[in-house]
Amino acid sequence: MAVVTPAAPAASDEKELLISGSEAVAEGLTLADIDVVTGYPIRPYDTVIQAIAKKISGGQLVAEYIVAEGEHSQFEIVKHASTVGARVFCGSSGVGWAYAMECLVVTPPLRVPMVCLVGNRALDDPGAFGVEHNDALFVRDLGWMLVWIDTSQEAIDTTLIAYRVAEDRRVFLPLAISADGAFLTHSQALTLVPSKEKVDKFLPRYDRGDLLLHPDNPITVAPQANEDWVIEIRRQNDEAMKRASTVIEEAYADFRKVFGRGPENPWFEEYMTEDADVLLVGMGTISLPMKVGIRNMRAQGKKVGLVRLRWFRPFPTDKLVAVLSRAKAIGVVDRDYSFGSPFNSGVVANEIRAALYNAATRPPLLSFICGLGGREVTLEDVYKATDLCYAAANSGKSEARTLWLGVRE
Amino acid sequence: WGIAFGRYGDSPQRNGIPAKDFAIVADSKEELEQNMARYEPKHVDVTICVDDTLSKGVESWAWYGLQPINRLTVPNGTVLMTSLQSFDQLLEDIHKKDAPYKLSLIRAKASFSGLWVYKEDHTEVRILGALAKIAPSFLKLAGVCEAIAEMEWGSDLKVASARKSYDRLETREVKLTEGNAEIPYSFEMPKWWEMREGVTIPAIPIGKPKEGGQGYVPERNPYFKKFTTRTMRPVIDFDTCVKCNLCWISCPDSCFDVMPDATFDANMEACCGCGVCEAVCPVENCITMVNESVFEDNASQWEMWRKDKAAYKTWLITKIGDKKATARSHGFRFRGQYEEELKRDLDVGGVEIAAGIPGENAQHKTAGESEGA
Amino acid sequence: MAEATTFGNATQILEPFRGIKKVTIEEYFTSGHRTCQGCESALVMKLMVKASGPRTIVLGSTGCMYVANTTYYTTPWVVPWMHTQLGSSGSAALGTAAGLKALMKKGKMKAEPINVIAFCGDGGGADMGLNGISATLTHKEYNCLILLYDNESYANTDIQVSGMSPYGANTTFSPPGKVKRIMHTRWKKNMAGMMAAGHTECRYVATVCASYAVEMMNKVRRALTIGGPTFIHSLDPCPKGWDYDPMLSHEQGELAIETGIFPLYEVEDGVLKYYGKTKAIVEGRPRKPVREYLLKQGRFAHFTEEDLAYFQAKVDEMWDKWEVPGVVPFRRFDAAKAALSVK
Repeated sequence: MAVVTPAAPAASDEKELLISGSEAVAEGLTLADIDVVTGYPIRPYDTVIQAIAKKISGGQLVAEYIVAEGEHSQFEIVKHASTVGARVFCGSSGVGWAYAMECLVVTPPLRVPMVCLVGNRALDDPGAFGVEHNDALFVRDLGWMLVWIDTSQEAIDTTLIAYRVAEDRRVFLPLAISADGAFLTHSQALTLVPSKEKVDKFLPRYDRGDLLLHPDNPITVAPQANEDWVIEIRRQNDEAMKRASTVIEEAYADFRKVFGRGPENPWFEEYMTEDADVLLVGMGTISLPMKVGIRNMRAQGKKVGLVRLRWFRPFPTDKLVAVLSRAKAIGVVDRDYSFGSPFNSGVVANEIRAALYNAATRPPLLSFICGLGGREVTLEDVYKATDLCYAAANSGKSEARTLWLGVRE
Repeated sequence: WGIAFGRYGDSPQRNGIPAKDFAIVADSKEELEQNMARYEPKHVDVTICVDDTLSKGVESWAWYGLQPINRLTVPNGTVLMTSLQSFDQLLEDIHKKDAPYKLSLIRAKASFSGLWVYKEDHTEVRILGALAKIAPSFLKLAGVCEAIAEMEWGSDLKVASARKSYDRLETREVKLTEGNAEIPYSFEMPKWWEMREGVTIPAIPIGKPKEGGQGYVPERNPYFKKFTTRTMRPVIDFDTCVKCNLCWISCPDSCFDVMPDATFDANMEACCGCGVCEAVCPVENCITMVNESVFEDNASQWEMWRKDKAAYKTWLITKIGDKKATARSHGFRFRGQYEEELKRDLDVGGVEIAAGIPGENAQHKTAGESEGA
Repeated sequence: MAEATTFGNATQILEPFRGIKKVTIEEYFTSGHRTCQGCESALVMKLMVKASGPRTIVLGSTGCMYVANTTYYTTPWVVPWMHTQLGSSGSAALGTAAGLKALMKKGKMKAEPINVIAFCGDGGGADMGLNGISATLTHKEYNCLILLYDNESYANTDIQVSGMSPYGANTTFSPPGKVKRIMHTRWKKNMAGMMAAGHTECRYVATVCASYAVEMMNKVRRALTIGGPTFIHSLDPCPKGWDYDPMLSHEQGELAIETGIFPLYEVEDGVLKYYGKTKAIVEGRPRKPVREYLLKQGRFAHFTEEDLAYFQAKVDEMWDKWEVPGVVPFRRFDAAKAALSVK
């Protein structure tokens, strides 16, 4: 299936290619001139490694390319390459990401700005290939930055922005770009690929500075520490994550300056939200059926809008609340689950509930679970969610439960 | 009500590295709760020390800086120690305290066991017996003896040992004015924003020649000095040193400074007293391990020797001679060793040593009968 | 490799120390560590970087030489050092070497040969980290040394049995009891033999013991000079875990060699060379009985004559039956014997 992205008119020095999300990330990595990349096969993310391998064998990219013997080593290799000053990339999906978990948890305290692609995939068992967001969400509390994308264009743009943000000395935190399995990783769309000159203008070199592991900068990294030190170390990471918000806004502003395109609001995409009574909220390619559904419902006079969350960490609390408070009802559609959580909701719904807690106006909020294991999200799902939101808007009451859409019952 | 726990930061305990354990006896659940979920109490009524070299202060695994052995002892509380030294000898080492307290001595040697082979030297029951004397309010001798008899490891002999230490415990008041006046080196913790990011710390700088481009002195970590671990220290006869480099190359703690004359001076802030240097030294009476308690400071032996060789020789002989009586068993060497040692004189606890360190090369070290081998 | 023409695999040329008097005087691993009295592994760290010199990066996987050796603010390291995860010595060495190579190749960092050494304990290396080490030893374009310091237990977590603990040893996970005297019934892995046999492009594998300091350092220097991924297995007596007087660390090491329990050898480009007292054993010098070694350690204090005999028999096998004594455990198919057994 080819998703046609409404692309801005190509600036003269940008070429337009028909490429998948994974291939778009690989284009971005080539422009970013990464130094070390590691791979290990698991679908769907591995299409990006296939694309990178071609770039290297074709000579468009010079980088150390290592096929590891498992995800644990795959992530450790780039972690260590990054500490000696190399710009690194790797990625994974589903249980592969889980297999690397030990190496994922150590990167934020070490302040390693690795950039990864998580090709979102359902967790075993059963070994489904399709999308669920629980894999990437493993690291949501650990100091990783998390961003969700929904088109090939966003894939390449976000890849460049990711290095700019992660490698900023004020941040130095790992960053995972989440792309829905199949719907984005494996789907081609027309994509603008910027010129190397402009990328070099936008993306400075990675400078490890005083944290560089090198004989000219003799330091001891990560000596063992106990209760005398650890809470101070956590507090430092808290500060780095807070600083990331500023750095992200700077990066998007510069991106627009240099490339003449890109979103005004880094944090989330607003689609027909200005006058909306009902606001649907989701992450990733779920936005595509939703946008179609919203256009159809608008034709019938229903004022529905979409807020597609890009940045989940850091979470854009104030900006999101400002928009959501305007609605008469909110419907959060999670492509993940959090069994036994408050209201048995998905992760995003509960984060938004928490964000709204101190808001002056708190519209009714409904939470939906949809599209698990890669099941397609249909227009019917979107209409059903919207209708329930309208009911809540009229009654002014939140449904204190979570509704599963598109499940056989 | 009661609770007992090891100082978590000291776990796993290191061979020969000081470690702390606590027992809290509370009159009420309320009082007990206040002392739970802690690494260590803010103060204790009785501080028990089963190795008198710790009277010089402790830097255990769990913290930074040197801490006096009586640091946690409450005013008018008790420091209970197994030692053969006199009160005055010990008070030369034990740091001054801002409140009076009692020093109680059980006449016994330091108790040392390996992880797998336990030396049944009765130290544990002696301590219990002494506690009954020090704090009858919560521990009665009769109760202690009863408990020991019931224990899997108990025996009539052990009950007898507990009674003996109850009867023979020596106690004396320690006034504010008494004790070692030295201010223990301490360490101030930086604030979170003062710490380097990325869990990084600076490396140790490279060392320098000792003097005039001769010799070599490595830089050493300023925040952790290992010497409080030391129960014995190497004493070096520089006149007999053949400059073979073996002590220097074999020291796990890099404690040997290279002197301009190519001899080696054991840095007493870095040496933890393992004794490997003595074991590898090919020369008789060149390096000799001597009980730490007979030394007053960590001064350089080589400088002392350079200043006045004759005076140094005399000093050396006294220290080594002193070892005859006070050298300590340092760990498991062969099956049946501990039983053999304990046959000597259970009453004073531990092993009566006639000569040298137990072990293969001990007989070369000083005249007389040798332990081990 | 086409790449070799654009960027070589240069290493530092580290000539062997010709005798103890020629050993470099500088310390690159100094005081400040909190290891046990007489810790042989701490000595191995010291000798390892003494041998490699100042232009070295060291990666340390979790274990005694991390937790006891390098705690916050109390580092003993003069050269740059970084922690890596328990099973990650292989990937840490590879990643560091790859990062340096990429940056130098692309002119983003001054090109110079920098030694990369990753160490691991027996648990981190022979148990958890085996796959990573094995993979790294096949990446011949990266210069790095993996040194396994083998104190024969998970010593930092309180002496638990590992795949490298000797048969029958008393550990906190294998305590002898009234009913079961021998809780640890597995035989120690043949780690160096496995690495040498299984990685045909790894140019150098050696076993060492710090009781022979100069030889030990020279093996490290050889491994770093020859280039590519290399592997060294060091047997480190552990006063706490093995239970012996700390001053006797060196004697314990010597006995392990003299009894034939731990052979000293190096395999360079596939050629096996025994050295030290092991060479003498191969040339017919009688081995000391294993009891002389076992009875000096508290961890074997529960051994009966029967246990000692079993241990001796297994060690005899290494020397009398193995195709390559002490290194490769295969036996040739003996046609004559087979014929007899048929009748």
